[in-house]
This record gives sequence, structure tokens and C-alpha cells, in this order.
Amino acid sequence: MAVTIRDEGSLSAPEATRLMAAVAANRDRVAFAALFGFYAPRLKAFLKRSGMTPSAAEDVVQETMLLVWKKASYFDPARAGVSTWIFTIARNARIDRLRRESRPAVIAEAFDPSDQPDAPVSGEQAIIAVEREDRVREALDLLPREQADILKMSFFGEVTQSEIADAIGIPLGTVKSRVRLALGRLRQILDDLK
Amino acid sequence: MIKHHPSDETLFRYANGSLESGPRIVVAVHVGACTACAERIAGFEALGGSLLHDIEPEDMEAGALDHVMAMIDTGEAGRGKAAPAQRLPRADVGIRLPEVLDDCGIGPWRWIGPGVRWSRVTLPDDDSANVMLLKVVAGRKLPEHTHAGYEYTHILKGAFSDARGRYGPGDLDEADDDVQHQPIVDKDGECICIAALEGQMKLSGFFGRLIQPLFGG
Repeated sequence: MAVTIRDEGSLSAPEATRLMAAVAANRDRVAFAALFGFYAPRLKAFLKRSGMTPSAAEDVVQETMLLVWKKASYFDPARAGVSTWIFTIARNARIDRLRRESRPAVIAEAFDPSDQPDAPVSGEQAIIAVEREDRVREALDLLPREQADILKMSFFGEVTQSEIADAIGIPLGTVKSRVRLALGRLRQILDDLK
Repeated sequence: MIKHHPSDETLFRYANGSLESGPRIVVAVHVGACTACAERIAGFEALGGSLLHDIEPEDMEAGALDHVMAMIDTGEAGRGKAAPAQRLPRADVGIRLPEVLDDCGIGPWRWIGPGVRWSRVTLPDDDSANVMLLKVVAGRKLPEHTHAGYEYTHILKGAFSDARGRYGPGDLDEADDDVQHQPIVDKDGECICIAALEGQMKLSGFFGRLIQPLFGG
């Protein structure tokens, strides 16, 4: 049966959490298709910005979404939002792929900290996890524009710090100190959550 | 009480996936013991989540969802058939190692200098990473040295001190080639660390020089 992909323009955090719960508890394929419709095109864009070719990005997205299905029961809304959780799976799948490409003989799964058993979450932490993505967004808005931009560019890893320096026409040292400042500020804002 | 943590840049690179596998596992060992750093990484990962959520989407190829659904069907049918991963040999190094190292191979202690022993740590997914355990006897003063590139050292047992301070269990020392130091291990017991070197650079630091022949350099 062909399943149509709806390009969902938006997906709220509570809705995404509900869909994940349906996938985990009921192996709900309609819920999975909805998650796929929202996240797959965004993962593809994300991975391309990280320097992958369109076809490699397409592969890693499919691999990531397969892992979302398989690992759905590990998703814990008390620890991370759905977007953050899916991001970490894609990050690990990307690391795994880059490693396989450089060392074809190695087939072991990538080291994945998300598989490690965690300490129980306190009620207070649970509230923080839900808020974290929103707080990060607010924090980015609070940062000076040039710091936020450099942080985003660095995060995707699409360019090296030297390339950022060349592109903006500022010395490498300035890029490094801007990244350091921006990270410190972001950390401060996130630490204030506690 | 943990006093020395990875830098924000290192935690950021851990979160965005650009930290090499050797330093990555040493940072993972630290994070397993340090809730403050686990929180920080969660914050930087949430940055990844929000960037993912807000990015301009790009069309997937036609049939991508069908393809994943087909893989799901195959996976469900073949569940339980996967061969168990091959276990890497693990020598007993005399201490209980953190759980994140469970899948790593651990070599036997080897003498590399007066009062200094070394054990090779092999990552299951990247056997080229330069990761090692180091054991230094109580009271040993190491020769003054600098580092080639970045060295990440997490203290598992015991402590050492240098001009920058004292490093005890749970502390992570991130040293680049600007750091010139002469560590002294505490008098009351041996010190065991897990360390990783970044890159495949020519090793010229103190540990690096000692272990270079072992890596065939």
C-alpha cells in the first residue's frame, strides 16, 4: 500500500510527543507516517547543510526514520523533545555513515550514548526537558545577531571556522572568540533554567 | 567534587557530532559521571533539535516512506535473527571501568617508562582512534612536557597536580599545545586515567613519545 507523504508545515511539540507515544505503544503506522512527513524533509535539509550529498542525505534520513521506529520505546519526553531526540539519532547515523565510508570493513553500530541506561529523572528535570527547545530558541533571539549566526553555522558544521572567517571577512581569532562568547551566553541562559 | 570540565566548545562538538571518536568516548566517560556536563550537552542538543524543527524542508524522493515501511516489514519479520556483535578482548585492569566502555576492547597493562603503564582501548566502531588507559604510580613526577594537538584526559582513580591545579576522579583535563606542565601524582595512591589524542598527528607529547612506537608511528 502506498502511503502518501504529507508535507506538514508545522508540528507542535505536544502533537509530536503524542505521535511518538502512539508509535511506541501501538506500533501505529499512521502516526509514524505523520512524523515522517514532518521530519524527513527537515532531516534531509539538515544533513545537506552538514555537507552530505543529496543521495547520502536521503539514505541517512531513511536510516534515521527506521531507527525512530525501532527505538520508539526509548523515547522519553522527560529527557528531550521529539525534535532533539530525532536530531541525536540522525547525528549518530551520520557519524556511523562517515565512519563506514572511511573504513568499509567496520560494520559495528556507532557508539550511541542514547542507548546507555540513564539515572531516573526527577519531576523538576521533566519540566526542563519540555521547555529546553523553546528556551534555546529564545536564547538565540537574545544573542547578538552575529553570535547567533556563527553559532548556527558552526552547529551544522557546513563550513570550518576558517571558512566562516573568510566569508564574513573577519580574522579567525574573532570567529573563535565569537563562538566562545555565544556558547558561554547560551549556556548561561540554559543554566538559568535550573 | 568535579572541578575540571570539558570546554563549551568540546561539549558543543560532542552535541553536533563533530568531535572525533577518541575524544568523544573520553567526554562520554566524563559526562556519565558529571550531571552538569550532561545538562550542558542536553542544552546544545536541544539547539540541534530547534534548528532541525525550524529548518526549511527539502522534498524527499518519491517512495521514500514506502521504502522505510518495507524495511520495517523486513525488520519485524527478521527480528531476533541478528548475530550478536563480536566481543572485543578485555584485560582486567584492576578497576571497574565506566559502562560506556563496555563494548570497547581493553588491552593488558604494558610498561612504557618508570612507574608508567599503558593499556590500549579499542573502540568497537573505530579501531584507528587513539584511546588509552594510563596508570602512574603514587608520587611519580612526570617530566615537563607539552602536547601535540589536543589531549583529553579523564581521571578514573587517584589524582595528579600541576601548575594549573589538582585533577581528581571525575575531572577532565583538556590540554592543547599551549599547556606545558609537569604533573605530579598524589603520594597516597596510583593514578589511572583514560586519555584520547585528537587526530592522527605525529605524537610529540610526553605520553605521545612514549606510546608512538606502540602505534607503529
